[in-house]
Amino acid sequence: MNTTIKEQNGELYAVLDGRLDTAAAAQTEKEMQPLFNSEGKNVVLDCNALQYISSSGLRLFLGVLKSVKAKGAHVYITGMSDDIRNVFAMTGFTNLFEFR
Amino acid sequence: MNTIEKHSLTLPNNVEFIPQLATFIEEVTESYGIDPSVTMSINLALEEAVVNVMNYAYPEGTLGEIDISVTFSDGSITFTIKDTGTPFDPTKVSNPDTSLSAEERPIGGLGIYLVRELMDEVSYCYENNHNILTLKKKIQ
Repeated sequence: MNTTIKEQNGELYAVLDGRLDTAAAAQTEKEMQPLFNSEGKNVVLDCNALQYISSSGLRLFLGVLKSVKAKGAHVYITGMSDDIRNVFAMTGFTNLFEFR
Repeated sequence: MNTIEKHSLTLPNNVEFIPQLATFIEEVTESYGIDPSVTMSINLALEEAVVNVMNYAYPEGTLGEIDISVTFSDGSITFTIKDTGTPFDPTKVSNPDTSLSAEERPIGGLGIYLVRELMDEVSYCYENNHNILTLKKKIQ
């Protein structure tokens, strides 16, 4: 699992690549720190290369969302596979996030 | 069907071993010709159930094992997860409220819920000092 973050058009753009399982969650949380310190910038989570997510990963997504929303900004998800989208639907996460 | 007759895996109570569980499940589901979407559902349910045991069954700092075994019959795949930790029935855990807003939503509490949503049958018993959780999914 690999997370890279760049600033692009005034937004924080994060590319999530690999399997976000419980074993990968602690390292991913560290790599996501710039998203928790977003200073009011919108965040884009690019999930084109995200192969899998478990509740440990959902917890990180929700943590980023809470932190970004508290600063009045938005979190957009792009490129999510049908299987992962299904997990989002099951847990009510589809209604929490904005999709691009 | 291939020639593997017994599928089983034993892991220590350490979440760093979850990728081994994923590899094991992929080998099993591939041997039964189960499609990738169903495999992902099975993988997710098993990860959640096993992580729950890894994190909570044994007192912090003590070593413990989790045994996972698989059987296939009548078009269903059945996983049995056993541990010798503190008795705990995950089927008694209440479901989270998935209709809450982002602000109201608590962080966590989704693992057991996902197990129930993703599998067709989830049952628990405590026998001979073992927690035994059985997860069944219809394939055909």
